[in-house]
Amino acid sequence: MSEIVTSVIDEAKSRNASRIERVTVELGEFTMLGHYQLRFAFEVLSKNTLLEGAILDLQTVDGEIECSCGFRGKTSPSNDRPHALASAFECPRCGDLAKVTGGRDCVIRNIAMVVPDV
Amino acid sequence: MPITAAHIWGEKIIPRRLLLNNMHKTVDVDLEKNILSANRKLAEQNRALLDEHGIRSFDFLGGIGSGKTLIIERLIDRLKAKGKKCAAISGDVSGDDDYRRFVSHDIPGVNISTGKECHLDAHLVDHALEKLPLSELDYLFIENVGNLVCPVDFPLGSHKRIVVISVTEGDDMVRKHPAIFAFSDIIVINKIGLADAMEVNIETLEGDARKANPKADIIAMDARNGTGVDDLLSALEL
Repeated sequence: MSEIVTSVIDEAKSRNASRIERVTVELGEFTMLGHYQLRFAFEVLSKNTLLEGAILDLQTVDGEIECSCGFRGKTSPSNDRPHALASAFECPRCGDLAKVTGGRDCVIRNIAMVVPDV
Repeated sequence: MPITAAHIWGEKIIPRRLLLNNMHKTVDVDLEKNILSANRKLAEQNRALLDEHGIRSFDFLGGIGSGKTLIIERLIDRLKAKGKKCAAISGDVSGDDDYRRFVSHDIPGVNISTGKECHLDAHLVDHALEKLPLSELDYLFIENVGNLVCPVDFPLGSHKRIVVISVTEGDDMVRKHPAIFAFSDIIVINKIGLADAMEVNIETLEGDARKANPKADIIAMDARNGTGVDDLLSALEL
């Protein structure tokens, strides 16, 4: 999270922003990052910075897998089974363990900031 | 007398917000900065550097006390006996206990005290590589901070990733942390000699591990007495 906060503040400073209103972050379903912890860290780290008071817009990106049987698509963990996360790596078509091709990223997509109107 | 909004706009009171809006605007800046892929790119650079020097590297993950350090020490001894040159990077939140154990085998080592971070990342490993005599090495072992969650998102650039669990952690370990097993190449179940005393069923752990990652090599070990070291060496193609 500190990397997100630092990157956003650096970007805002380079544009002489006086305030940041909203940060949009995309979070892959297959990362080990949790929304609750990220929000808490964001709030703590943004104190007394340009980010203070900004909205953290966290958007979940579905996991994507690609299987040797040819299946390619989105998949989600099913919480009613043991191995909830691991179950998402199984190909829904053939049951084999598929290669994860998406949903392992954390991307700062957009920053809405107040800048001087020149 | 200070100049107020009323002076500029006459008697009509203009809210401060509107006044500000005349001089400022809100813009959307698309950044597209991928936090985790930055680590992955650095990991690829680490891998390229290791390949350039003909070094094969292995990173070990697992809970604190699962036996990662002793397993690596066993591998170092066997490889040294074959005349191979090894080095080790040890990552811990604090202290240099593991580092001292590694260098006691007369090999170069680097200690990374992360301070607060619960995992190593490719950047920390990159700096550790700067301190090692890469041109003299055949194998590099990297021991991650004891943790089964966060290291999953941070590849380091090694050739194989090994996750170590021990029977003393209970036979529900894999079910509690499936992702780390799914993203590893080799799963080691350590301290099998203690299974009876712990009333832990090794087959349960093996079955769960196979379910979490059907493609991984699963190795039962007891690093203390050397059981399974040969199996691990062959899984690592050493």
